[in-house]
Amino acid sequence: MTQQLNRQPAADQYGPSATEQTGNSSVMEPGSGPFSYRDLARLDEALTMSSRETGLRFTLYVGELGSDTRATAEDLHSRSGGDTSNSVLVALAPGQRVLEIVTGTAAARRLPDRACALAVLSMTSRLGAGDLVGAIINGLRQLSDAAGHPARRNAH
Amino acid sequence: MPVLETVLIYGVIPLVIVLLFAAVTLFPGRGKDQTKYRPGRPWEHAPVWYEPHPDVPGVVGGHAEDAPGAGHAAPRLGATASALAIGQHPHVADSDTVRRTAAGGARGTW
Repeated sequence: MTQQLNRQPAADQYGPSATEQTGNSSVMEPGSGPFSYRDLARLDEALTMSSRETGLRFTLYVGELGSDTRATAEDLHSRSGGDTSNSVLVALAPGQRVLEIVTGTAAARRLPDRACALAVLSMTSRLGAGDLVGAIINGLRQLSDAAGHPARRNAH
Repeated sequence: MPVLETVLIYGVIPLVIVLLFAAVTLFPGRGKDQTKYRPGRPWEHAPVWYEPHPDVPGVVGGHAEDAPGAGHAAPRLGATASALAIGQHPHVADSDTVRRTAAGGARGTW
């Protein structure tokens, strides 16, 4: 099951393998989130497969992004754990109808802003129709296609 | 009894089939497993933040690095980590100013 990072985790929410940055409470309570079991499984597969294909670390945030959505998304990206230069944050605010994609320094070389804008365009058209999970999955697929495979890029 | 047979074959059997399809398609709670979202409606869920599955090989920052002695393979050291491992200390930024890690991206509204 997909792990879930908490912005302000409580001490007793950590899972058996979680650090203080990554409390995997969704593993213990998968039904508490906004997504159904089937959609969670699809999101889990999309996140895992795109991360495995590209070697980049894709994380997905769904929630409010405050008044300055870009600053909030970049702040979340800086706290996303792991190697932040190699991570890509897809942040959605369904209430504010805003979508932000933030790439780290190493990820931005593989995933230029034009590729991100193209993914955002296709995601927003689906989000406008109310297809939240389909937009996320297709956006992740498009981002991972644009980033390509790391071994193939280093081969020559 | 040809009349009764005719009614059974041409009346009752099609009716049963029609009722069967009606029950399947109009079954209540069929869409209960869908994630409900309508554009313009307020989003009343707590913020969630998902990361990829921890046991993915090749993904930096997975949970396999949390417990190197618990049966997992030893984590590969990145460039920064291997530099720090030989005695250097990282530059510690002020606690209230989070280092900016973003280099690019895109935004959109719908």
